[in-house]
Amino acid sequence: MRNARARSSAAAVPARGLSRRSLMQSAGGLSLAAAVPFALTACGTSGGTTGGKTAIRFLYATGDETWNAVAKGVADAFNAKSATATVELEPLPAGTDYPTAMKTMDATGNWPALVDMRDTLTYLEAGKLAPIPESVTSLLNDEVYAPVEDGEVYIVPTTALNGELGFNMVYDKDYFDEHGLAVPATYAEFVALLDAIKANGDAPLATAAGEIWPSDQLWKPLAAPVFAQYSAAGGFWNAVRAGDASLGDLREPLQRLKDLTDAYVLEGWQSTQDAQTTTLLVNRQAVMATSSAGIGRLNDVNKVDPDFNAGIFYVPADDGRLNVLKNSVNGDTASGFAISAQAQEDGGQYDAAVEFLEFYFSVEACDLMEATGMIAPNVKAADEIERNSSIPGADDYFALLADPNLTWFANETTWSGFSTFHTFFRQARIEMQDGQTTIDECIAKSQEEFDDQAEQE
Amino acid sequence: MTASTAERPAALAGGRARPAPDRRPARRMTRHRAVMLLFIAPALLVYTVMVIAPSIQSIQLSLTDWDGINPAYEYVGLANYRDILTSDRFWNATRNTLVLGLGSAVIVNAVALGVALMLDKLHHAQGFFRTIVYLPALVSGFIAATIWKYMLNFNFGAVNTVLRDLGFEGAAMDWLGDNEIVVGVLLFIICFTLGGNTTLIYLANLQSVPQDLVEAARIDGASRGQVFRYVTWPMLAGAVTVNMTLMMIAGWTIFDQVMVLTAGGPGFVSETMAFFIYKVGFGEYRAGYGSAAAIVLFIVVLATTVLANRYMRSREVQA
Repeated sequence: MRNARARSSAAAVPARGLSRRSLMQSAGGLSLAAAVPFALTACGTSGGTTGGKTAIRFLYATGDETWNAVAKGVADAFNAKSATATVELEPLPAGTDYPTAMKTMDATGNWPALVDMRDTLTYLEAGKLAPIPESVTSLLNDEVYAPVEDGEVYIVPTTALNGELGFNMVYDKDYFDEHGLAVPATYAEFVALLDAIKANGDAPLATAAGEIWPSDQLWKPLAAPVFAQYSAAGGFWNAVRAGDASLGDLREPLQRLKDLTDAYVLEGWQSTQDAQTTTLLVNRQAVMATSSAGIGRLNDVNKVDPDFNAGIFYVPADDGRLNVLKNSVNGDTASGFAISAQAQEDGGQYDAAVEFLEFYFSVEACDLMEATGMIAPNVKAADEIERNSSIPGADDYFALLADPNLTWFANETTWSGFSTFHTFFRQARIEMQDGQTTIDECIAKSQEEFDDQAEQE
Repeated sequence: MTASTAERPAALAGGRARPAPDRRPARRMTRHRAVMLLFIAPALLVYTVMVIAPSIQSIQLSLTDWDGINPAYEYVGLANYRDILTSDRFWNATRNTLVLGLGSAVIVNAVALGVALMLDKLHHAQGFFRTIVYLPALVSGFIAATIWKYMLNFNFGAVNTVLRDLGFEGAAMDWLGDNEIVVGVLLFIICFTLGGNTTLIYLANLQSVPQDLVEAARIDGASRGQVFRYVTWPMLAGAVTVNMTLMMIAGWTIFDQVMVLTAGGPGFVSETMAFFIYKVGFGEYRAGYGSAAAIVLFIVVLATTVLANRYMRSREVQA
């Protein structure tokens, strides 16, 4: 009966409208509800606690499947082993413009403890990064990290620092054998190779510009001979900034880029994604494909089709040199692991991130990386690592490392505004490749953008 | 004195005040308003903190060289506005925005009205067809764009595969990579996604057109076309205003489809203003510049919406 009365009295309320008291209570409740999201936001951290362990997040760019597998494999192994910390992966899927997404995540004020860093100088100058302790750097070879002006190290490599040697052509070895084709020793031979494939009625080359960054894969080896000329003088981009060089010096490689695109690249490149070039190669829709993943791409090909006989080569210069960009260990183009300053404020998060990095550079983790198909970072205990030479085509990569024509060059940028220009230049090149602008227009607008950015520094 | 005593306040009228009957409703009204304000307060607080305050702050940021990350920045006056207004890239984005905004508004409204007219005449399974028409609007723009991206892929997509299988090899195109058609393809996809709501608004209005007017027109000998032209269409004037305004605003601020389908490319060709703001503000570390572009977008949206609304409202009055 009590319930029935309660129901009947409650039912009577709507007929008279809500009482003042109930309205006030409801309004008060709503105000409280509105405050909750703010309270929750204020509690946001770069991780948390899971099962008594400190949970940290690791933000990284997915690219080739091999790197994705390495990130997952090492994180799983660490989580199983650590008694105090857990790593949660935060992959940003392929197709995302990673630096943009990274910045967006930073804007939320909820950065992960570990970040696969890009545009390093920008974040370093903004005080977003925490120093990486000696317990981590002491595991690495001295040449793969460097302290900045304050004497601290802020970035360490995720993989072996073989520069941009991974910017190579992945090709169908069986096709080459069948048609009596050979890996080119000079740029002229490279063009002759493309002509020969085209003459067979086949598409010589698949490349991708659906995302913006893969457009570098064809461009960088073509521009490398020009960049290499400025290596000893501090790098091409610094020379442009100092007025000792200009974008006009890139006219020849830009012309070559345009010529290759027009004559030999498989149609549809403008909307093709990086990962799709593997499919195009394996489906034999193109005989070669651009890549920036080195052995990782060979591993991907092997996973898609174990019977596909893939090889790789680096596009040579006119004189036969293989001009390859050395990794920047500092500067805006340096990339690798960084620990966020936000994690350092937390203390526990920072300790967990350091523990993970110590594990990442251990022989155990390096063995895991090698088994997964990635070349392990340059650690001091390299001799103890069990190398993986089972991936078809991997011998080509190691042969490149030993090639007498291999010429390393530096092109480090020491100003953060380069990131802004770099994105613009990529888009301007795609625009030119696509025939929307001429090479002269591409050079002029890129130079103007470069000057604007340099002026703002 | 023409005003009656009853119309004047009691004190002025020289009579005794009548507090109880006159003030109680006023007091009740005040309390009622206070309670209503309390209800509004949470949403208003959230809206102020999340939308209004950042919007106002973006005016300040538009005058700086802030990179969006470093807390330190300098004021650069109107330099960002000067750079924007002299940038080909910005004007290309503006042109695309106008094409997508106006184009989608006109196309979606025309198609939606046609579909709504057909649905209105349906006597069987109207609910089923209404659901079919509305379904695309239920899918988020991001997901719909992702599906279209797969379908329109040059090498592997369903559209080109079907065309090639049917022997139309020449018709297979790089839908999202050909700079001459890519904005048109975006327009098509936007229209496809946004048509559902517009159709439902038209349908609701069509069903509220007084049938006696329609019947009267028919008795007077009006043809179907004349009934539509002189009876139905004027009665839909309000719906047209609402739909055109909503569609234009949706078009002006289109972002997710561009982000997923083309990322503004190839090159810069399919960038819209909203995407441009995102790209320079977040991707190129130019938050000050991006803020200035956002202010310009706000002015464009405001001006065009007010002008369009004024025109359509005048049409409603005539109707």
